Amino acid sequence: MSQVWLISGSPGCGKTNWILNTFKNYSGNCGYLRLGGYSEINLEQAINSKIDFAFLKDQIHNLLDLSISNSISEKDKENILIIIEFPQFFIPKSQGINGVDLRIINELEKYNFQPNRYLHFGRDPELSIKDTLDFRAIESISLDLKKHIWDPASLNTFWFELVNGAYGDVYRAKALMNLPDGRYILFNWIVSQQGSQYQTLNQVAPLNGRPERCSEIVIQGKNLNFESIKSTIHNCLLNDAVLDHHQTSLRNSQLQTARR
Amino acid sequence: MNQAVISCLHANLPAVEAVLKDIELQGITNITCLGDLVGYGPQPNEVIELIRDKKIPTCQGCWDEDVVDGLDACDCSYPSQLAEKRGHFAHQWTTDKLTKENKDYLANLPYSIRKDKCLFVHGSPNSQHEYLLPDMDAFAALERVENARAEILFCGHTHQPYIRELADGSIAVKIKNAAPKDIQEKEIQLPMRRIVNAGSVGEPRHGGTKATYVVHNEVTNEVKIREVEYDLELTCKAIIDAGLPPIFAWRLKNGFEFAEQAEDASHVCER
Repeated sequence: MSQVWLISGSPGCGKTNWILNTFKNYSGNCGYLRLGGYSEINLEQAINSKIDFAFLKDQIHNLLDLSISNSISEKDKENILIIIEFPQFFIPKSQGINGVDLRIINELEKYNFQPNRYLHFGRDPELSIKDTLDFRAIESISLDLKKHIWDPASLNTFWFELVNGAYGDVYRAKALMNLPDGRYILFNWIVSQQGSQYQTLNQVAPLNGRPERCSEIVIQGKNLNFESIKSTIHNCLLNDAVLDHHQTSLRNSQLQTARR
Repeated sequence: MNQAVISCLHANLPAVEAVLKDIELQGITNITCLGDLVGYGPQPNEVIELIRDKKIPTCQGCWDEDVVDGLDACDCSYPSQLAEKRGHFAHQWTTDKLTKENKDYLANLPYSIRKDKCLFVHGSPNSQHEYLLPDMDAFAALERVENARAEILFCGHTHQPYIRELADGSIAVKIKNAAPKDIQEKEIQLPMRRIVNAGSVGEPRHGGTKATYVVHNEVTNEVKIREVEYDLELTCKAIIDAGLPPIFAWRLKNGFEFAEQAEDASHVCER
């Protein structure tokens, strides 16, 4: 029997980590879908980023991507836990399924999902309320960084400047970044926490060219200087010649280690 | 008699004016400048002209050298691609702004200045680009001072002010002659040597925003690091008005240097 849960909450409240832990503790099949949510007056949603799915898929190998139609076979449907995540600034007026935003209900119809549980961060006591911030005004920007690879030291500087307010008042930032040695790193920051979370994912790209996997940055805050963020990021990304230099050197170093 | 030593002004006119005022208030007339008059900051010509007007003896810093020689700033000292691109932008901007007269002035600055037992350099006696860090190997530190035949070596470049005493040093020499068993040994005791880093007037790197410099009493040999507040907002506004990257103003305002220090700051550029 399949279960379909809806999970919502404000940006950075911990939805994705909660979902990861739930999947890890579940022995059957797992399926995931992220909806973009809806902007409200002065509260802009970020684009529907692929970061969360890429992160969860890295951690749960057999995770099914429900944004792709027909991704669930009849066999998969047995004993599957489907979690649908969406960002939502306001606390639902009613408890349980009755509190789901009608726009979300309508959106779910095309997927043919019938939710049987709905939890919202900040309302339901089984979810943490540590980072459920009450945003009054928020703007969002995001950049698709697919196939881009960062100079590691520049990334360090950029992230430090970003979360310390050099490009506007950032409340929330998350990103999946590629490094020249093939590492794939999740960056996560919320204004209510001290310091950023960094997690190196399991996937390692070959030392040959640019990986095709998802790479994005999503920033939410106030008075964000998009042009300055874009130009700084541009200055941090490696061009083909520099990337080739790095990767050749890393390949040679791996060869030497293997020969020893 | 007191002397003041200032370094790394980085075209930050309000900071330079505040420090010179602080020096004047102490009645000090003997001032030496350890270079880097320009670079990153918004008022390179004004800072050079102020130093020239006051006839302050000045060594050539790494930025002064790079701007004059038309070379790119020492690329290998940049800790990241981002820092390098920002540095190159600042280098080009400064080169375009400087008058020919001021470039000639920078070009003719000496690498070092010697006054009795004191040697004044920008980076180290070896190079304007070498960092003498406060925690560098004691032997290497002593070697720099001893080889320069100085009792006190005044330097800048790191932007971190410090006073390091190198006491009880000695040099042991052991020579084996051709004849078997003919080994000669000699140990020379060295008097205490000191390295004094003046920090930075225009781009502090001590965790705060105040300009730093040092005062040395030539009679008692006492050295004091002084911190001076200046009109930071004025400098930040000048950075923006000059068309320099706003991130320079943000970094300065928050007590961060314009470009981060290299991971291997002990490197010597062999360009």
